[in-house]
Amino acid sequence: MAAIGVHFGYTCACVAIFKDGRADVVANDAGDRVTPAVVGYRETEQIVGIAAKQGRVRNAANTVVKVKQVLGRSFDDPETQTHKTENKCQLVNRQDKPHYEITAGDRPVYVVPHDVAKLILHKMKETAQSALGSDVNEAVITVPFEFAHAQKRALREAAEAAGFHVLRLIHEPAAALLAYNIGQDCSAGKSHVLVYKLGGTSLSVTVLEVNGGMFRVLDTLTDHSIGGEKITEVLAQHLAAEFKRTFKHDLSNNTRAMMKLMIGADMAKHNLSSLSTANCFVDSLHDGIDFECNISRARFELLCASLFNKSIQPIKALMEKVGLSNSDINQVVLCGGSARIPRLQQMIRDMFPDVEMLNSAPPDEVIAVGAALEAGLLVGKEGLAPEEETVTVDVSATDILVKEVDDSGAEVFTVLLPSGTPLPARRQHVLTGGGELSSIVLRNLQPKEDKHDIDTVVTMKRDGSVHVSCVEQSSGRPEVVTIAAAS
Amino acid sequence: MLLTALDGDETAVFKAAVASVQIQVEPVGRWFEAYIKRRNRTASASFQELEEEQQSSEESRTRSFNQDHYCVLGLPHLRYKATQKQIKTAHKGIVLKHHPDKRKAAGEQIGEGDNDYFTCITKAIEILSDPVKRRAFDSVDPTFDNTVPSKNEGKENFTEVYAPVFERNARWTSKKHVPKLGTMESTFEEVDNFYSFWYNFDSWREFSYLDEEEKDKAECRDERRWIEKQNRGSRAVRKKEEMNRMRNLVDSAYSLDPRIKKFKDEEKARKEAEKKAKVEAKKREQEEKERARQAEIDAARLAKEKEEEEARQVAQLAKKEKEIQKKAIKKERQKLRTSCKTWNYFTEEESDSVKMMEEVEKLCDRLELTSLQSLNEILALGSREDSKVAVVKQVQEVNAQLQREKEAEVQQRQPTRSDHASAGGGGGSGGRASTRKTSRCSSRPSTCFLLGPTPVIADYMNLHSTSGTKRTAKDVIIKAKSLQRLDPKQKDDTNRKAFEKFNKEHSVEQKLLEQALKKFPVSTPERWEKIAETELVEMVKAKKAAQDVAGKTKNDKNHKE
Repeated sequence: MAAIGVHFGYTCACVAIFKDGRADVVANDAGDRVTPAVVGYRETEQIVGIAAKQGRVRNAANTVVKVKQVLGRSFDDPETQTHKTENKCQLVNRQDKPHYEITAGDRPVYVVPHDVAKLILHKMKETAQSALGSDVNEAVITVPFEFAHAQKRALREAAEAAGFHVLRLIHEPAAALLAYNIGQDCSAGKSHVLVYKLGGTSLSVTVLEVNGGMFRVLDTLTDHSIGGEKITEVLAQHLAAEFKRTFKHDLSNNTRAMMKLMIGADMAKHNLSSLSTANCFVDSLHDGIDFECNISRARFELLCASLFNKSIQPIKALMEKVGLSNSDINQVVLCGGSARIPRLQQMIRDMFPDVEMLNSAPPDEVIAVGAALEAGLLVGKEGLAPEEETVTVDVSATDILVKEVDDSGAEVFTVLLPSGTPLPARRQHVLTGGGELSSIVLRNLQPKEDKHDIDTVVTMKRDGSVHVSCVEQSSGRPEVVTIAAAS
Repeated sequence: MLLTALDGDETAVFKAAVASVQIQVEPVGRWFEAYIKRRNRTASASFQELEEEQQSSEESRTRSFNQDHYCVLGLPHLRYKATQKQIKTAHKGIVLKHHPDKRKAAGEQIGEGDNDYFTCITKAIEILSDPVKRRAFDSVDPTFDNTVPSKNEGKENFTEVYAPVFERNARWTSKKHVPKLGTMESTFEEVDNFYSFWYNFDSWREFSYLDEEEKDKAECRDERRWIEKQNRGSRAVRKKEEMNRMRNLVDSAYSLDPRIKKFKDEEKARKEAEKKAKVEAKKREQEEKERARQAEIDAARLAKEKEEEEARQVAQLAKKEKEIQKKAIKKERQKLRTSCKTWNYFTEEESDSVKMMEEVEKLCDRLELTSLQSLNEILALGSREDSKVAVVKQVQEVNAQLQREKEAEVQQRQPTRSDHASAGGGGGSGGRASTRKTSRCSSRPSTCFLLGPTPVIADYMNLHSTSGTKRTAKDVIIKAKSLQRLDPKQKDDTNRKAFEKFNKEHSVEQKLLEQALKKFPVSTPERWEKIAETELVEMVKAKKAAQDVAGKTKNDKNHKE
């Protein structure tokens, strides 16, 4: 049964479909696997995607970008205000709700962010359905961890208006973990995973604990001041300086030229992730002058060095906040388009030298793939209870250990049930022992040459009480003990 | 490894477990879904949960207890050999005895529901009556001894140690007719058959009975799939262990088997012998060949020697004969000479006698043995006149022969020389360019005969002629005319012959000139003068003198006429 996973970001949206046990990202009608979350309003039509992004040069006032920033927010919200100042499209206040003022037609039209989001999500649905060839509506949509309830509700409503049947909204870091199948094979064990997401407009770093196949967010940090667009801007500034040096024209007041330069810089930046040098050319940039410039990767890295440093900083802060050292992290997952930058990857790798870095999948598609996998799990099930985005579960508070001696005779502890294991839990172990067991004592075992194999079942109930039953395999001697939980 | 308990230790609870805490988790993933489902199903109190948990732990205990189903049915002596029929009858008997209804009637305490031991019987028959389940149980038969004898054990008495092990393991085979280990006296075929069987051992042993997770317990398809995967993994591991065990057993047996060693030694010895025989045969063959070759060579040499000997003898004979002939010729010649001398060369004049002497010498040279003999006979028998006639006749013949030979030679050489003749034709009578040219021109009578003065030619010819006949200018003209009348080919022949001759005698002059040239290098001033001073001059001068003489004789002739 097929299902859809949608990653709806600030700058870009990506859609993946789950079919025949696989989740794959599908390309849109322009052939791109990632669609810019930009809507351009014209006199008679609305354009979504790359065409709108490119058309923004001429139609900046009627092109809506980063609609996610104002989705579900009131007009007075500081985020809305910053969005208003940064955006070229006029944002007005009507009934305490932000509205975009579109002046494409004869009379100004007021559009709510909800409609803009709906248009984008509708485009994603069309993309998925054309790839599937059937009318599938079941979808899982990702949201950033910091989204408030109102924002989530607004997004869900927009998705439903676009024709989706929203199975669940899941958090982006969790989706990234799902895409890499972390903790899904075996429920036992505990590990820590760091998810580093550098998208177009925001950076978010999250530490998750994976225990018993469940993900728990330990903490997260979000920085809206760093993103791929900032990097492009730095590059564009550099190009403008180059232009000024060569042709003695200042571009800083020419918004349209700057926008053109931004598009060129964006392309150059993408190329620099795979090539050592990239060429940026803009026809008729200013006064009919064609601009062409070659940028090496080293130059690019030099230009953005401070930005890169800034984007690495939150990791340290977060680690301190969570109280883990870098060696406690078992895996690092990279996502977001800007995480492709080789220098950035290198910096993170330097930070976690012995940690497995997961970047095999394209980072801007990982989240959509995870969403599609989750959609595949959920589709066709009834009683999808959790409306809320996190669920409370009982977990064990401490590690349950077994005391053993190693070969040299020193006492060692083996973790049977790590702390944070979802309850109730049951673990079956085969322990080997010489003669008799201590603490839980198996009496009257015939001393044997061989080791005794003792089947042990440790059961922990939801209140935390522990039930241990041991059976020696060959003789069948049992011993059972129940340890009540402190109330 | 667990700690060893002390004597007084008892199972006790020292401290309460820490109470559980609540955390928020992300609602994603398979395990979360499974968890939520379980929680929803057992929505209410922990009592129910406890029940469930207890049951499951109990269950696991009975499983880990490893109930021996054969013992339960009273068939411990038969085990895997028991037939379905035996199992059925045994079950029937036990059911008749232990059925709860029966025991109730006898006033016994019956456990509630599944707690009664009768469930064990049900379970036993359930497993043993199903061939698949029974095979799974048989595979992990607890009474089966999995051990493989160590190498040291098998060193001493191999068959005693390994025979029971192989017999024991033979029960896992899916083929019939298991070959026995045999005794020390087993043939090679038997042993080989045994090991090939065990190396290709096809075991039906499998370990699904030990599965940790039960497939039937799964709550949903996903979980079931996952459990299956898990089980498959552990089964594969166990199966691999089992294969390794078998392999180990067979390997160690093979390495220890004294019979294998024996066979190997035998094989080795046989191969060695074969090799030796082969080498010997080769050697013999080579020797034979060598001998044959030697014989051939000897025969060839002998034949050759014989041939040579014969040839030598023949040569000797020929030589002797030749010598005899030579002697005879010598003798005849002497005879001719003496007879000629006695006849005083048929002349009175001194000059004629000298000329005749020459002619006779020529005869001696040219004539064959037989003609010489006949001539001598004539000389010996005949009178002076007869003798003279005979001798003159012979001389004429010889001269004619010589002439013929000369002509033939000329004819042979003619084509190659014709151009030389024409080239030299324009040389004229006694050109003065150089001494050499002059001499060449004058020594070519036939080319110059119309241009140069004929008496000179005649003189020259007389000087050089070997025939001894004197030629006058008239003769020369006649000859030249006749030559002119002859076809040009012949003319050319004559020319060439003359040229050859000239070359021959001229080579002396040539040599002298060359010597002189060498003596006086190019750098020497007055080179030509010096060269001229050498002997060459003498020769040239002599020639000039001869010309002068000829001129004089010509003048004389003219005067006479």
